[in-house]
Amino acid sequence: MIVCVAVVGHQSFTEADDALKLHHIVHCSLDVVDERVNNPKKSGPTLNETFLGLLYPTENYKVYGYLTNTKVKFILVTTDLDVRDVDVRNFFRRFHAAYVDAVSNPFHVPGKKITSRTFAERVSNIVKSFGLSST
Amino acid sequence: MGREVSESCIDSLLTEMVSSYCNRFYANKPELAARRIEAIGYQVGHQLSERYTMERPRFSDHLEAIKFICKDFWSELFKKQIDNLKTNHRGTFVLQDNRFRWLARMSAESKAAQAMSMYLYFPCGIIRGALSNLGIPCAVSADISNLPACEYPESYVLCVVMHACSLCSNGHCHGQL
Repeated sequence: MIVCVAVVGHQSFTEADDALKLHHIVHCSLDVVDERVNNPKKSGPTLNETFLGLLYPTENYKVYGYLTNTKVKFILVTTDLDVRDVDVRNFFRRFHAAYVDAVSNPFHVPGKKITSRTFAERVSNIVKSFGLSST
Repeated sequence: MGREVSESCIDSLLTEMVSSYCNRFYANKPELAARRIEAIGYQVGHQLSERYTMERPRFSDHLEAIKFICKDFWSELFKKQIDNLKTNHRGTFVLQDNRFRWLARMSAESKAAQAMSMYLYFPCGIIRGALSNLGIPCAVSADISNLPACEYPESYVLCVVMHACSLCSNGHCHGQL
């Protein structure tokens, strides 16, 4: 199950329990993202990068990253052990769409936290349906 | 896919925006009006660049991003691609659109030249906002002219000059166009 989804770029939005530990995970994974971005192996400019990153000693988390053209990073932390690649890609695609809509709000200040309730609901729905569809 | 709005609504909105800022909010202060309009454009460009880069693979370099502006982004906004792109390979680019859509309904009176330039701040802001969100901070300005005896007699040629400091080799550049 998804434990935490973070949007990091100029703003961050997290929805999680156990916030502090997950903040730590997210921050560590950001370093990995930066590393990957700055040492490109030029294996094709792919939009999403998935990486099974940080397995913690006590609990196992899988951390996925996604980098947009506008340098905004989405980090997904999940405790599922048998997550399918296609599910994660689907998740990020839907999450990206929700993010774009939230940011297009004229009252949204770039750089500040996203406070839209609609965004929170959409993310909630996406999270709930993660991994449930069989397509 | 997504909701759409009629083009005449956009035309009216842009006309009214320029009119409000020039005649009401900042009457007699055209520089302030211009700056405000450009700032609005900047925010819009910022948001549009998020939306229009959504389904695309990441750009491998700055030139890809600029080509995106010239083709896909321009098509989304102005229903066509730009007609000409020139560069001095030192950070300055000139984008030329021979039939700029947003000025298509404007008359060609000579006294209106100054007034017409007010309508360019918004598109310049959009381009500056989009490029800056793609990682290329720049300065953008625009110029219009009529192409004499061309196939589109009533159309305006828009030349957008864009200078990206990060791409120019001058270490002391301050974004002067």
